[in-house]
Amino acid sequence: MDRFLSIFFQLSLILILAFIALPILVVFAASVSPTATITFDPSQWTLRWFAALTASRWLDPFLLSLKLAAVVTVLSGLLGLLAAYVVAYRKCPGHEAIMALLVSPLAVPQIVKGVAIVLFLSSAGFYALLGTPGLIMAHIVLTLPFVVRMIAGAMYNFDKRLDQAARILGATSFQRIRFILLPIIKPGLFSGMTFAFILSFNNIPLSVFLVRPGETTLPITVINHMEYSLDPVLAAVNVASLAFILAAILLFERIGGFSAQIHGGSK
Amino acid sequence: MNSNDIEMVSVTKTFGSNLVVNNIDLAIPTGEFVSILGPSGCGKTTTLNMIAGFAQPSSGEIRIRGKSQRGVPPEKRGIGMVFQNYALFPHMTIAENVGFGLKMKKRPAGETRDAVQNALRRVHLDGFENRYPKELSGGQQQRTALARAIAPEPSLLLLDEPLSNLDLKLREAMRVELKDIQEQLAMTFVYVTHDQDEAMAMSDRIVVMQDGVIAQTGRPAEIYEHPRSSFVADFIGKSNLLPISDIRQIENDWFVSLGTKGLTLSVFIPDGMSGHDARYCCIRPEAVRLAVTDEGIPPLPNRLEGTLSRIVNLGAYFDCFITLKDGTVLKSLVRSTRLPGLAVNQAVFLSIDPDAVQLLSR
Ligand SMILES: Nc1ncnc2c1ncn2[C@@H]1O[C@H](COP(=O)(O)OP(=O)(O)OP(=O)(O)O)[C@@H](O)[C@H]1O
Ligand SMILES: [Mg+2]
Repeated sequence: MDRFLSIFFQLSLILILAFIALPILVVFAASVSPTATITFDPSQWTLRWFAALTASRWLDPFLLSLKLAAVVTVLSGLLGLLAAYVVAYRKCPGHEAIMALLVSPLAVPQIVKGVAIVLFLSSAGFYALLGTPGLIMAHIVLTLPFVVRMIAGAMYNFDKRLDQAARILGATSFQRIRFILLPIIKPGLFSGMTFAFILSFNNIPLSVFLVRPGETTLPITVINHMEYSLDPVLAAVNVASLAFILAAILLFERIGGFSAQIHGGSK
Repeated sequence: MNSNDIEMVSVTKTFGSNLVVNNIDLAIPTGEFVSILGPSGCGKTTTLNMIAGFAQPSSGEIRIRGKSQRGVPPEKRGIGMVFQNYALFPHMTIAENVGFGLKMKKRPAGETRDAVQNALRRVHLDGFENRYPKELSGGQQQRTALARAIAPEPSLLLLDEPLSNLDLKLREAMRVELKDIQEQLAMTFVYVTHDQDEAMAMSDRIVVMQDGVIAQTGRPAEIYEHPRSSFVADFIGKSNLLPISDIRQIENDWFVSLGTKGLTLSVFIPDGMSGHDARYCCIRPEAVRLAVTDEGIPPLPNRLEGTLSRIVNLGAYFDCFITLKDGTVLKSLVRSTRLPGLAVNQAVFLSIDPDAVQLLSR
């Protein structure tokens, strides 16, 4: 019976992995195929679609998306940290209601958020903000609830007795935040920031309202390109973005060590 | 040298309508090992938290080294604390944990290193510097918590059931270590426990708490030999605690009747007590002398006969339960080498020195 179960679980795992991996394999094959027809014959594969990505029509949007995601990640990390500290850690009066409010944007569809932000900026007369500043704001509105949620989770789990222990050893409140609280919630902070980075880098529904000619993000450029051709360069963009995001996740993981948190350990 | 490290003056603590610490007065002299002993929920941790500054008294005052602590946060009180659950910093090595207090005080790195080494050596954990807390056994974590608290050498250390999670052997070893540390560093220890053996073994003084009030304060022997209430007698050590139904004086001798069936004992009334106040009598099991023959017991006034109804073998001792003729059950502690052949249902003879019968007014 045990043997049967173990085979069953292994089989399911393989199926799940295949389910996740197959589309990626197809896209990968497309990105190295010489024509729009996908080939799985390695002898015909080419890297020319990837070479095409170094042109400024792809590079500029990539750099914009990268800068945007970086700024959004840092800002929503900082804002999320402050919000979670006051609400989840210090438990300010009405903290439960405030937390509900902070994460409530999760329930609003992105399209609705996009429209709301554009309407707000234009009706308030902030036309100048409609480009990159608007993108930053909009993306923060999108990512902040995730970040707050993640950091708050880490802070709710934080053992307050550690703070007491540090306190009786003479640590000031600044020292306690710096040496105890921050290192311990760091995995939560970095997994929140990873989410923010991915959400911002891949975002379409919000960005579509705020990009301006000459200031388009990578996913919007892909959409625009798709309107007149479906060539393999799109597949190459996808593969490159995926590789880039994986690299970013690995980097965040290296700094933040959040897989330890996911696996239930802590160091 | 006669100064007090801690003074609690009419300290009361309420949580909502729940009176948890009720008007406590307590002075703890410098360099003393004081245990706060009491059953679960009697307010021990709350008392410690008020001394540490994690909780504020609802009324009354706490003074440390003569200074009122009102408005002084824990980090400024200059005391150490060992938490019941260790509360080690999981992201720091053992050395970093132990050195944390000195680092916060911005001591030179060299001095910190020496102090860490010293503290770890005291708790026999040298060589564990670079491990993380989760890589240690419970007992080792416990000792790390202790090392962390003593490394900055606070003159005053609060310990909240610091040995409660250790096995018996390790606990006994740690008791000796703790006592050594306290004496060598001339520290004041306030030691919370609900384990009376622990309190008896280590303390200069024991404070017995009951429902938020201090039931009795005194040296361990004093509390054991002269409990002031049936609660203390019952809580500290084993005892035969019997309600008194009648007490009367015949010339210079006093006699108490226990129960309703005519068990009578000759007793002494201690100075400062009126015999008519006695409500309970307490007889320690080791004061109940047991013999298998009539001649085995001294010709004292309180001679009783009964049947051995149960024997619990404690190794060096037998814990004997004797059912007397009137049905009362008395406990007697017998050295196992003295009467090796004891058997259940055997007829036995008991004698109790009138001196050993403690009279309690409540
Ligand atoms: N923050 C709090 N709010 C409300 N009631 C509390 C609080 N802290 C403690 N109490 C109550 O105060 C009483 C004493 O608690 P305390 O923790 O001091 O007991 P203790 O003597 O340390 O017990 P134990 O041996 O179980 O640790 C308990 O009845 C507890 O329920
Ligand atoms: Mg307690």
